[in-house]
Amino acid sequence: MSETAIPAAVDDLRARVQPLREDPGSVLEALHAAQDVFGYVPPEAVELIAEELGYPEAHVYGVVTFYTMFYAEPQATHILRVCRDLSCHVKGVRGVVAAIEKKLGIHAGQSTADGRFKLELVSCLGQCDLQPAMLDNLAPHGHLTPERVEKLIDELGDEA
Amino acid sequence: MPEVLVVNRNLQKENSWLLDTYRRDGGYAQAERAVRESTPEEVIETVTAADLKGRGGAFFPTGMKWKFVRADSNTPRYVVANGDESEPGTYCNRFLLEKDPHGFIEGMIIAAFAIDAHTGYIYIRGEYGFAAERVREALHECYVAGILGEGIFGTDYKLDIILRRGAGAYICGEETALFNSLEGKRGNPRFKPPFPTNSGVWSKPTAINNIETFACVAPILEHGAEWFKGLAVGKGNAGTKVYCLSGNVQKTGLFELPLGTTARELIFDYGGGVADGRTLKAFKPGGASAAVLTPDLLDVRLDPSIIQHETIMGTGGCIVLDDTVSIVESAYRDALFFEEESCGFCIPCRQGTPNLVQILERILQGEGSMADLDLLESIGESMASSFCGLGQFAYRPVVGALHRFRDEFEGYIRGELPVSA
Repeated sequence: MSETAIPAAVDDLRARVQPLREDPGSVLEALHAAQDVFGYVPPEAVELIAEELGYPEAHVYGVVTFYTMFYAEPQATHILRVCRDLSCHVKGVRGVVAAIEKKLGIHAGQSTADGRFKLELVSCLGQCDLQPAMLDNLAPHGHLTPERVEKLIDELGDEA
Repeated sequence: MPEVLVVNRNLQKENSWLLDTYRRDGGYAQAERAVRESTPEEVIETVTAADLKGRGGAFFPTGMKWKFVRADSNTPRYVVANGDESEPGTYCNRFLLEKDPHGFIEGMIIAAFAIDAHTGYIYIRGEYGFAAERVREALHECYVAGILGEGIFGTDYKLDIILRRGAGAYICGEETALFNSLEGKRGNPRFKPPFPTNSGVWSKPTAINNIETFACVAPILEHGAEWFKGLAVGKGNAGTKVYCLSGNVQKTGLFELPLGTTARELIFDYGGGVADGRTLKAFKPGGASAAVLTPDLLDVRLDPSIIQHETIMGTGGCIVLDDTVSIVESAYRDALFFEEESCGFCIPCRQGTPNLVQILERILQGEGSMADLDLLESIGESMASSFCGLGQFAYRPVVGALHRFRDEFEGYIRGELPVSA
């Protein structure tokens, strides 16, 4: 999102956060809403959520930094979250990760220069029946092989 | 032997997640009967007599938990469904959340009635986006049908259930960390005691149970405590368990079997044995937190009694490892998991988890020493004093692997095994 688009989006977020005011515990829900709107949690969103739900900004920022799925920086369109835990490991996830790294020219934790893809190695996704598995943002993809994941990236790149 | 479908009884039905489907086969009849005709004491008595124990892995008696909550005069009380399923190798809750949300919601309603709660929370891990959508739709259906909200089932009993999503934190499956997350905070654990039954969400008495535990409740009220107890095998067990198979096994998937089924039955009779014609080297009975067992222990029952073999039953997420798998590497994977998921709140866990990773890395790269093996043990001893269960269990898969496969650790150190990782 460009910086000039932020004011309109802030209004959008305010409309979504205001109904949560009666439920002061809903900081995470408000942050999910912020990420829906902005793709990440910009300082404007932290300020707004703190104000609407009645917390210091430091509290809200502390929550953002605790949870791995909240981001304080802009993110790629497709966050590829690849499981690196035991079930996926013994079913060859290392080769899948190598294929993604080669295909996109990035290492785990990095994003492509065009902002389309980010690769994350993450903890078990609870998709072990699909081992080795990953999420494209929240959409699961399983039974991955180097060939399948290359094809998938082509398909996702076409829609991005 | 066929599976025994209690918890997973609805998963194969067409449109299994819809209220109409659920009600067609008697769904919500038990919640309605409880709220309209039973007393909370009767409900708690039945669940206690059925000997239902917490399916999240702690196996605390559910009826006793509800009784403790009810005995605390502090109000309001809360009911919480723990759907933060994040233990590696575990995915049984996801199927319930996605395919039969009404099954566990009915259990939650019965629990709420039993403890006289008027607010419930469902906490679902952030990665389960589709599951959260399905649960949201199911809750909406319940409100429209008068199953939730003001005056449910035409009585004057009021119950709201609120859906909350996590955002990537294994620690939030720990009940007190989950409460902090529900309250809009960082998911650090709290000191116990006080226990959740007296001081849970918003520091009020709270009955928190796993999704699978709640899914057992309506069938118990329908068929009775004796029926439920009779479903299990082995001493002290009651009911079924949804075991999850993954790793080097022919058939991955969920298998709902008598609690107390042996590992051999699960892996070979139901899972079809080791994949690709390989042989079994080891298996982890209950996710990352459980230490590996060797094939000579295949006849142990997958129930809490497994603790006598220096491992845990955990979530029932059984991971099969074939003869090509490096046990040191598998211990390293578990160590990486706990390093990533340590919340950083207490020192033994925050420092211990990366220390285990560093030492295992060193060993895998052929740069370890025999003294490192003693170091793994002593770090484990210090991690036992961690603040919460995460740190208290995080070292056990590493130390357990060392105890059962010491030759392999020494093989890397002596340079007899190929460098990896």
